[in-house]
Amino acid sequence: MDGVSLEIAPGDRLALVGENGAGKSSLMNVLYGLYQPDRGTISADGRPVRLRSPKDAIALGIGMVHQHFMLVPSLTVAENVVLGREPTRRGLLDLDRACAEVEQTCRRFGFGLEVRTRIESLTVGSQQKVEIVKALHRGAKTLILDEPTAVLTPQESDELFKVARELSSAGHAVVLISHKLKEVLSFATRVAVMRRGKKVAEVPAEKTTPEELAALTVGSELSRETNGARGPKKPGAPVLELERATCRTADGRKALLEVTLSVREGEVVGIAGVDGNGQQELAELVTGLRPLEGGKLRLCAEEVRRLDPSLARRMGVAHVPEDRLLWAVVGPMSVEENISLGRQHLPPFSHGGLVDSRGRRQRACSLIRDFDIRPPDPQAALSRLSGGNQQKVVVSRELDCAPRLLVVVQPTRGLDVASVALVHRRLAKERERGCGVLLVSLDLDEVLALSDRIYVLYGGRVTGELERASFDERRIGRLMLGAEEATFA
Amino acid sequence: MRERLIRGALPSVLSVAAALLLCFAAIAVVAASAKVALDAYLAMVWGGLGDLPRFLDGAGVAVLARPWGEAATKAGLLALTGLSVAVAFKAGLFNIGAQGQMILGAIAAAFLGAQLELPALVHPLLCISGAAVAGGLYGLLPAALKLRRGVHEVISTIMLNWIAVSLVENWLVVGPLRARASGDLSISGTDEIAATAQLPRLLGETSRLHAGFLVAVAAAVLLHLWLSRTRLGFETRAVGLAPEAARASGIPVHGRIYQAMALSGALAGMAGALLVLGTEHKFPATIGAPYGFDGIAIALIGQNHPLGVLATALLFGALRAGGTRMQLFGVHKSFPELIQGLALLFVAGRMVWDHLLALSKRKRPAEEAPRA
Repeated sequence: MDGVSLEIAPGDRLALVGENGAGKSSLMNVLYGLYQPDRGTISADGRPVRLRSPKDAIALGIGMVHQHFMLVPSLTVAENVVLGREPTRRGLLDLDRACAEVEQTCRRFGFGLEVRTRIESLTVGSQQKVEIVKALHRGAKTLILDEPTAVLTPQESDELFKVARELSSAGHAVVLISHKLKEVLSFATRVAVMRRGKKVAEVPAEKTTPEELAALTVGSELSRETNGARGPKKPGAPVLELERATCRTADGRKALLEVTLSVREGEVVGIAGVDGNGQQELAELVTGLRPLEGGKLRLCAEEVRRLDPSLARRMGVAHVPEDRLLWAVVGPMSVEENISLGRQHLPPFSHGGLVDSRGRRQRACSLIRDFDIRPPDPQAALSRLSGGNQQKVVVSRELDCAPRLLVVVQPTRGLDVASVALVHRRLAKERERGCGVLLVSLDLDEVLALSDRIYVLYGGRVTGELERASFDERRIGRLMLGAEEATFA
Repeated sequence: MRERLIRGALPSVLSVAAALLLCFAAIAVVAASAKVALDAYLAMVWGGLGDLPRFLDGAGVAVLARPWGEAATKAGLLALTGLSVAVAFKAGLFNIGAQGQMILGAIAAAFLGAQLELPALVHPLLCISGAAVAGGLYGLLPAALKLRRGVHEVISTIMLNWIAVSLVENWLVVGPLRARASGDLSISGTDEIAATAQLPRLLGETSRLHAGFLVAVAAAVLLHLWLSRTRLGFETRAVGLAPEAARASGIPVHGRIYQAMALSGALAGMAGALLVLGTEHKFPATIGAPYGFDGIAIALIGQNHPLGVLATALLFGALRAGGTRMQLFGVHKSFPELIQGLALLFVAGRMVWDHLLALSKRKRPAEEAPRA
């Protein structure tokens, strides 16, 4: 980050946009006391200040809502909010007072939260509200939201922005970090664009367009490429068929109820739905991570009774999971080792039980080049890469398997504009090649843009199936919320 | 590559250095004399690495060879138990059971060594193999309990240690395998092993340096190559670091855990064989020395890297062999163990190191720029 100036006034709604690694998070971390500036100053209310730690930032009324929530799942809302500054009575935690105080804060800012519920039983959207309440409870006047909608449904996002707007009209300043230009423009009054550690522009929101912002974030390159290049293509034989398939969640609840669907060669099938309606389990089911409890599963017309991840891979199923740190990569291992994962027993990654380090290096380097993975070092520990680049490692590896069925869940979450375009382009290429793609995404725009066909999941059931010609955002929205009877195209 | 190696080893080296300094200071304070501490330390060094000053005075090779033998014997045992703990760690398990697996290996080696009649080179190899199998099977038990019944391996291996002691020392050694009394002399422990089963001495009779040391060194090198160069080693590391990701990529996680625990038990069992075939020449009434537990410290100080474990074992083997010489200066011989314990404590305090390193890095200018 280099020579960036920024001014935030009470009531401001400022958005910060830029690619992965453009310095947005660094800038905000300076503001939140996590990093120290090498040069330059920070002033609050006209007086220069030094922020040595988040504690100093909080004392100045700066609150941050991180992309990954910092909540303790087994504690209640109230306990999480007061964590670190618990009210005590004679040295003992005074839980009643904590609840009363948090309730008061919720009321004051119009949050309808039940303060005695445990975090783990809340939806992602509500958890985020808890994070905001936490910041407000500590007296935050400036609220930093780091990619707040990455995990939210459209409805939840709308509600978040409503709340944020109300806060700003009550005199709070809100800083929004986001990749989604649409929401940036609808929410912010000012937009600051970062590129390669510099602030390249600061424009009033009403005077700019998504195209202009996209062009500014990536520099000379053109903005988000549409995937209009998709040829109308006749899909081939089915690669995946589910017939009245049923399975359970990890804690034993029914996750999928008699789901029947199919994916054919050369088509992208999107799964739309509000988070937690069985998409996760569907992806795990067809990749062999979760057992089938009822119904039938066929891969390439062959019925599979007991699918495990190894068999799934041998049958040509590749998987880009949602939680890559849990399911897809080994953080402490190098990029090249991670690229070999899943095919470590095959050439060019090994021969006769011995690791072929030269073959592995070559393949890793070519994927690093193709996908512009940064830093371009095959030996770097994967955990040192930014989230977007980790995702590129996973996507490049899975596509390199030349799969017959590609299961992708939230493939572009947290990626910048250029990387999103790259991933979308590669998915389209897989489709052209004749691969069947099962796309699960909470970003409805993404599902609409890429899919040939969409199934809507609600409560573990398929509530609708739509062909591309009959895509209708409103209708899908109603199906996602279970507000319309199941209909099939 | 080299830089990464140095940076990886740094916390261990610093920890050992800090432990050495602290103990030095402790001796100096208690004895109220830095001279005593220095003398004691020198005695420890010459006692472990060979008495170089006396050798230069023309005292003969024995003053070098004898300490080498003591140091190498101890180092070999520490290396094998350390590797045992380390390989389990690589698969994500905390094997506290090296002591029990070692006892099983020792009794197997003692039994095979006494009962079989085989030519010289084959006999010890067979005994070591038998010990590895016994230890390996014993290591499979906690793995099976964990994978089938969800019993945490720390609990089960601690209990299995006591079962091993009871089974071997309180039953076999005083019962079915008790040494046949010769005349009216009652002998403790099992029968002496056959001369063919004894590990050959490498430096003649004055030094107890035996071929078992080479077994330990070979084990460390082979384990390193296995972990870093083979597919199974890679898969084992993946299982240890991220079991869910390993499962999702088609690696048989349970298979790798069984395999790693069998290997872990086998290495500890080989340590038992070395003790019997190289030093004791029978299973004594009791295996007093807790080499299996020392293995935990050696593995952690060596950061579970086979070569790091070997280096750590060599260092502490030498310090312990030399430690007995400290008594000449009124310093208790358990100081090497104290040094080992302190070094372990400092390595375990690695989070503190990391924090300090991170702090010094944060003060360095503008390298933080691009991070999403």
